[in-house]
Amino acid sequence: MTWFLRTGSGEVVRVMVDGAPLEARAGESVATALLAAGHRSFARNAASGAPNGTYCLIGQCFGCLCTIDGRPQSQACLTPVAEGMVVETGEQVGTGDD
Amino acid sequence: MTEAVDLAVIGAGPAGLAAATTAAAHGLTVLLLDEQAAPGGQVWRQAERILGADPSGLGKIAASYGGAREAVAALRRSALDYRPGATVFDVSPELQVSWLQREAEGGGTRHAIHERAAKGLILATGAMERPLPFPGWTLPGVMGVGALQTALKVGGLRPDSDGLVLAGQGPLLLLYLAQIAALGGRPAAILDLAPPGRMGTALAGLPQALFGDPRTMIRGFGLLLRRALSGARIYRGVTRLSAGGEESLERLSFESGGRTHERACSLLGVHDGVIPSTQMSRLLGLDHRWHAERQCFEPLCDPDGRSSDARVWIAGDGAGVEGADLATLRGTLAALKAAEHLGRLSAAESEAAAAPLRARRARQQQARAFLDRLYAPVPLENHLTDDTPICRCEGVTAAAVRQAVEQGAGGPNRVKTFTRCGMGPCQGRFCGPSLVRLIAAQTGQPPDETGALRIRPPLKPILLGDYLEAEPEP
Repeated sequence: MTWFLRTGSGEVVRVMVDGAPLEARAGESVATALLAAGHRSFARNAASGAPNGTYCLIGQCFGCLCTIDGRPQSQACLTPVAEGMVVETGEQVGTGDD
Repeated sequence: MTEAVDLAVIGAGPAGLAAATTAAAHGLTVLLLDEQAAPGGQVWRQAERILGADPSGLGKIAASYGGAREAVAALRRSALDYRPGATVFDVSPELQVSWLQREAEGGGTRHAIHERAAKGLILATGAMERPLPFPGWTLPGVMGVGALQTALKVGGLRPDSDGLVLAGQGPLLLLYLAQIAALGGRPAAILDLAPPGRMGTALAGLPQALFGDPRTMIRGFGLLLRRALSGARIYRGVTRLSAGGEESLERLSFESGGRTHERACSLLGVHDGVIPSTQMSRLLGLDHRWHAERQCFEPLCDPDGRSSDARVWIAGDGAGVEGADLATLRGTLAALKAAEHLGRLSAAESEAAAAPLRARRARQQQARAFLDRLYAPVPLENHLTDDTPICRCEGVTAAAVRQAVEQGAGGPNRVKTFTRCGMGPCQGRFCGPSLVRLIAAQTGQPPDETGALRIRPPLKPILLGDYLEAEPEP
């Protein structure tokens, strides 16, 4: 099953996600760019090892943490895309067993 | 050291925009800090794009942006110091505000810590969706309806109709349905999580609600009618909601009409109303009270929004959810009183402007009281199982919380120490509200005695490097 469809059109911004180019839309967040490209999860939960859900998209749930332009634990939902931005997914959220 | 600003306003949604521009118009120096890149908050997100000549096709949802054009235009006209991309991570007892500023620099982005003292403070940090834990709610593909709405406004993302199910209750869910319908979308099914008989209990308040705020009520009936006409299959009185899948959401099961239903689903929007974001009001140690009907803590404020600290006002949904229309009014009220407090208006002048606003608010609140009853929170026990995570970050389950309470943890902070519930990166934003309800139910204590999670700075994780690079402002 597909996930999200884009309405209308918009100016294209090119970002790199895990080493692959991705066309995002100017003014959107890293999180919506990833969702539009079919990424279902951006991080893993350290406690359960399961893929982490992105729940709120308004900076409250911390489910969308990514490394953005080398900055770890960045909230993808609060970060606007920018030309040439480098995004790495697969961050660990939470602490798990220590 | 930079001179203290008269007023710091945190949040640039309807309340914050009204507060900041009103205060500036009365001659106060105003610093407006907002985490987003553009003004509007959640309800008016991307207002300038959506109300402008935008090729995204989102002009079709502009009907829900009433008041936004004027509010944003007032901001752009004003000489106040507006800082988008500003994440406030601390406010000291002396009202020294610290924030992480994101700004474009060269081809990249720079982050820098800034600090500024304020003589007065208006918190306009708004609300969040009430967390509703159920089995599988941490799976990718399960999101808040508010999050789906944000994805629509920010990225023009409309869910593929075949895989979409919406579960829950409340005005925001109905509004989202109307918004995707305007773009040609609809969910495959709607699961109404409201227990049966709610309309009956709420009905007594209907005449006052219609009298108090006819516009909102008529809008609401229109949305209900559209839900009925949406063509989506509606299941009522749904309990035992459960989401399943391996790497992401694949299927749902639930009970309705005495039967267990199963269906495929790739995207589930969940909504059980919104509650104030109290992270900053808690950090400041302001007094809060449990609202029994809304099942959440709200900062204790006078009718003008003044908190238990005479230098601090809370405007908009952050002081109790009343919606965008009233948020604008509440922002204006708070700014008038702050201008009085800081000597820019006499008591008589501020009162002359404030009294009609308070009267209008009292009238419109009658509609809110009706909605509070009609959409009273879904009882946690309708969906919760022992294995359901309460804390999304640390994976702490309902059973672990109950066990900690049995072992003597009588409040959220003890449960946190016992279980790590609330110790993850979201700092209790998502588990705190459910945690208080669970502990209160188990101990029989009123939540005002149970208390809430203690909130400490930094409110958002920042890097040690940010501190090392921080230079005091000249």
